[in-house]
Amino acid sequence: MNIKTVEYKKIDEIMHIYEHSSGLRAFVIPKKGYSKKFATFATHYGSINNEFVAPGEKDAIRVPDGIAHFLEHKLFEQKDGSVMDKFSELGASPNAYTSFNQTVYLFSCTDKFRENFELLLNFVQNPYITDESVEKEKGIIGQEIKMYQDDPGWRSFFNLLGAFYKNNPVKIDIAGTIDSISRIDRETLYKCYNTFYHPSNMVICVVGDVEPEEVFGQVEALIRSTGSRPEIKRIFPEDGKELNKNYVEQKLAVATPLFQMGFKDTMFDSKGIECLKREVAIKILLEMIMGKSSQLYNQLYSEGLINSTFEFDYTIEENYSFSIFGGESSDPSKVRDRIGDSIRELRRKGLDRNAYERIKKALKGKFIRQLNSVERISHLFIGVYFKDVNIFDYPDVYDKISFEYINEKFEEHFVLDNLALSVIKPA
Amino acid sequence: MQNRAVEEQALKIASLNGIDFYQIKTEKFKTNTINIFFHDNLRKETAAKNAMVPAVLRRGCERFPTLRDISLYLEELYGASFDCGVTKKGERQIIQFYIEFVSDKYAGGNAGQFEKATDLLIDIIMKPVVEKDAFRNDYVDQEKENLRKLIESRVNDKMQYAVDRCFEEMCKDEPFGIYDYGAVDDLADINSRNLFEHYKSMLETYPMQVFITGNVGEDKIKGIIDKLSNIKRGKIKKVDITNIEKEVVKVRNVTEPMNVNQGKLSLGFRTNTSSNDEDYYALMVYNGILGGGIHSKLFQNVREKASLAYYVFSRLEKFKGLMIISSGIETDNKDKAIDIILSQMDEIQKGNISDYEYDSTLKAIETGIKSLRDNQLQMVDFYLSQAIVNTDDNFETLNEKIKKVSKQDVVEVSKKIKLDTIYFLTSKVRQ
Repeated sequence: MNIKTVEYKKIDEIMHIYEHSSGLRAFVIPKKGYSKKFATFATHYGSINNEFVAPGEKDAIRVPDGIAHFLEHKLFEQKDGSVMDKFSELGASPNAYTSFNQTVYLFSCTDKFRENFELLLNFVQNPYITDESVEKEKGIIGQEIKMYQDDPGWRSFFNLLGAFYKNNPVKIDIAGTIDSISRIDRETLYKCYNTFYHPSNMVICVVGDVEPEEVFGQVEALIRSTGSRPEIKRIFPEDGKELNKNYVEQKLAVATPLFQMGFKDTMFDSKGIECLKREVAIKILLEMIMGKSSQLYNQLYSEGLINSTFEFDYTIEENYSFSIFGGESSDPSKVRDRIGDSIRELRRKGLDRNAYERIKKALKGKFIRQLNSVERISHLFIGVYFKDVNIFDYPDVYDKISFEYINEKFEEHFVLDNLALSVIKPA
Repeated sequence: MQNRAVEEQALKIASLNGIDFYQIKTEKFKTNTINIFFHDNLRKETAAKNAMVPAVLRRGCERFPTLRDISLYLEELYGASFDCGVTKKGERQIIQFYIEFVSDKYAGGNAGQFEKATDLLIDIIMKPVVEKDAFRNDYVDQEKENLRKLIESRVNDKMQYAVDRCFEEMCKDEPFGIYDYGAVDDLADINSRNLFEHYKSMLETYPMQVFITGNVGEDKIKGIIDKLSNIKRGKIKKVDITNIEKEVVKVRNVTEPMNVNQGKLSLGFRTNTSSNDEDYYALMVYNGILGGGIHSKLFQNVREKASLAYYVFSRLEKFKGLMIISSGIETDNKDKAIDIILSQMDEIQKGNISDYEYDSTLKAIETGIKSLRDNQLQMVDFYLSQAIVNTDDNFETLNEKIKKVSKQDVVEVSKKIKLDTIYFLTSKVRQ
């Protein structure tokens, strides 16, 4: 078996990598002394992949919104009952989620790893979908969609995406709509499955106190489809660089207004180390501008314009990227104006090198703390894998990034013309 | 290479002036934690004040007088995390402070992380910003306002609210019915001066525990013990043992109207079993079989078979000897749901427990216990609970005792359980 081992001495971690003949790569990150073992089996297929040319075909097809999520639900149902029960008997906790870019199947357990791992690999590779079960699922997912429609945080986020993008499929609800899922049928589900669930488009990651050879031995034995397949052609619609709208508002049953705002990013490298550097730089900048140690945060907080619900983040993916920040506020427009003022002021005065050094240290420390948890490691790993990024490259990026680079990204990203605001107001 | 049996156990390493020091040795994490707890009886007169103390202390200390100053310093400590607040365990209110930080190895070598974190934590607790023998007025005013909003926002999480309200109704005449943070009407009387006096009595009289986790050397441990022995301590308060005995004369029915799409049903029970009784382990297994996961009777019957609920579970409130069953259902299905729930409990009393239910429960509990070892704060909470109820279990012994519970033991403990209160949060109110 061809196993590669990489040691990251500065952070005391090791990564073992195995390449299966199908093109699937499997990773083991050992965590000696930990009780939990966490296994994920993920595919590079999410809600944004609603238009594609399947391998071996000529024409593109457009599938109904929400089908990736629908398919995730369906995989748990097998001929002899629900896979959930089988995991339960083995004392494991199974789960799954669909995001914009991936669908992830996982379990955690403290014993019987072999049996649980076999169950995971088998059920994801064995879809069993009937017309009946498709119809039944429409009712259940319909309820899930309604539940999210009532969630003000979720709505303010998607409304912001709608403000950023006119055509980009990231603005479409991951679960779709009641109307779009009504058009899902068995044939289309199988078409999506056969296109995206080939091992060459997937990855396995196991984190915990396990033996890599044993894990890879199971992967070798249980993963089918030897021989790689040609690339899937993913199609994304044309979209402009400018904002679709700069303000959007919706009324829901909330006590105080909620808001999300952010900068649409218009230049980015969506793969590899450049993408990682950009992410780190913009996260440092966000912390400098509006983190807990910033003047801006403390002023807004003591004026009662924001409270402890205020958070921020930055996302960069294959065909979209943006920063996002928000929380509760009695006057979101005022918060936006103050943020704008603060950024103009920073442009004038220049960024504070001491703050940059200090925050760099802090963020690197926070990253290292996440390595305490097998769930966090798995989640981070899968989050960046399909962008050709290795999570253990983060510490080096923190070490090598420069103040000059930070200044460049400040100029590029924090452009006030690209700032959009999404507000949820009380009904 | 340390003996695994000794790793991840809390060892009491010192006891002085009503402060118990515990160390949980573990080498596998990249961070260390220091946790300091102050205990008090949960009483209406003091609940809000106890909640206000950490809220105000968090705002600043002599060395770092503002929230921003503290944040800046935490960043210097390679992104250390600090927090403080109150929690309740039975009829005991606990004020807690904690700090977590990467060990020196990841802070560039000789960073002195442990000492710096210790000093910060102790400064926040022992050296607050004081003006004329009182806390700063603006800090107290702002935190009173924050606390008011926090207490009022209980209704936002409808699921948790329905659980809390059921317990409140059940224990109206007992201290357990008091909310962790006190009540809004307790806030008006609090001012900078009387809060400062209250804080001083906390430092002088509340029993304390300190838990230190991670790979920490003897000299550092000695350092923190020395620093904390400087606290001026008086006569240490006695914190009462929570009473779990209460006879149920008649089941109470409480309905609360609110603008909800879905009804929230809570059933509160007296288990008549305390957490240091021999049969407490049987009660844990009972709870798992009844409503502790997807294998449980409640999940299979209320949700899967009858499709009445998206969520349904049972949970033990171990310090007060209570159990709650909680479920979100259509408002019209209240009686139907109660029927099915009570008939599941009946089934267990009659001994109708399948092998699947019994085996899955033991496995789920075992997995849960083992999983605690992968998180420092969860380990601290586990051993804090052991100390409070005076049991001596570690992860291994607890699991051994669980495995020894038989189906018959479960049946026996089930006979002591009595329904006390049914609470329903609903949009419809019957005339």
